[in-house]
Amino acid sequence: MKLEYPKEWFERSAEIEGIAEVGAGVPPTHSTTEPHTTERITAFDTRIAFGQFVSLWRRNNGWNPEKLANEAGIDTEEVLEIEHDPHCEPEADAVYKLASIFGVPSGKMMELAGLTKSHTPHLREEAIRFAASSEPIAELSDVERQALEAFVGALTN
Amino acid sequence: MTESQVYLLNSHTNETVEASLFDEVTDDHLALWDTSWAPLMRAHRTNLPLSDTPEDSHWNWKHKANSWRSLLGYQSFALVCEGELQGLMLTNDITSARLLDQFGKPIVYVQFVATAPWNRPELQDPPKYRGVGRTFILAAIQTSLDIGYKGRLGLHSLPKAEGFYRDKCGFTILGPDSSHQNLTYCEMTETQAENFRRNH
Repeated sequence: MKLEYPKEWFERSAEIEGIAEVGAGVPPTHSTTEPHTTERITAFDTRIAFGQFVSLWRRNNGWNPEKLANEAGIDTEEVLEIEHDPHCEPEADAVYKLASIFGVPSGKMMELAGLTKSHTPHLREEAIRFAASSEPIAELSDVERQALEAFVGALTN
Repeated sequence: MTESQVYLLNSHTNETVEASLFDEVTDDHLALWDTSWAPLMRAHRTNLPLSDTPEDSHWNWKHKANSWRSLLGYQSFALVCEGELQGLMLTNDITSARLLDQFGKPIVYVQFVATAPWNRPELQDPPKYRGVGRTFILAAIQTSLDIGYKGRLGLHSLPKAEGFYRDKCGFTILGPDSSHQNLTYCEMTETQAENFRRNH
């Protein structure tokens, strides 16, 4: 694709455009499965738990983010974003790979990551309870470890 | 990858400046996004109420790029001016028209268009550069012409951009689309594309 238009065309075009919002569309991975506002808030809630879960599982195994990224075959940056930025929607591929490493059902991990609509009863409540009881500190405490194990149980059942 | 020389209006200096439109988003463009757009978007996301947060503020273009690069029928575009990334666009050529008089004919569908935060009136007053949006639409029309689709386009407008597509680009508005978050679906016919190219 090559544009061959004179400078005057663009000057006139900028004049026509003026000050305008021009945003359109959504990225391909959002597409028609993008949740509506209320669902997006729910996804935000569970994604906090998703990030905490990834972080605690990693620390419980004595892995740093780079080690987890290498084992899962994803970018270290993506691990860090999952753990620290619930606004950021993880890639489905990365969630599948992490689920495989963690040994938990990928479908439930997808729900937790906000990538599919939740069909698991009480998943959101379990996720919020887990997130609230597992605020990170320097080392994994017994409470955190229990919370992690209980949540793994809730995901696997 | 092809580079086209285009021009934008710098609103701060009121001067027309050269810019480059690339028909492929490269790692260099994504690096520019990472060092300039992303920190500003993060700041807006932190400082603005949820309702005012730009809808794409959480999109990670570096990750998204890996998704679309593997998809056949998709083409990405980057607009660079004065060393900064001014906008990104992704199109596909696997979509059909919905307007009655061109129903079923292939169109170039603009999957998304996004401009840099400093070019958005809701984030910076006045925005730095004018002309980013219409330059991308011109590129989409040219892509449509190049593959024999005669300039036909379709896209889903974000709510605040409907006026731009209707009044400043000449799209026909088909209304909210429940399959796309109720975003407004807009379509451009061959005739409308020709008018756009004539800057009417």
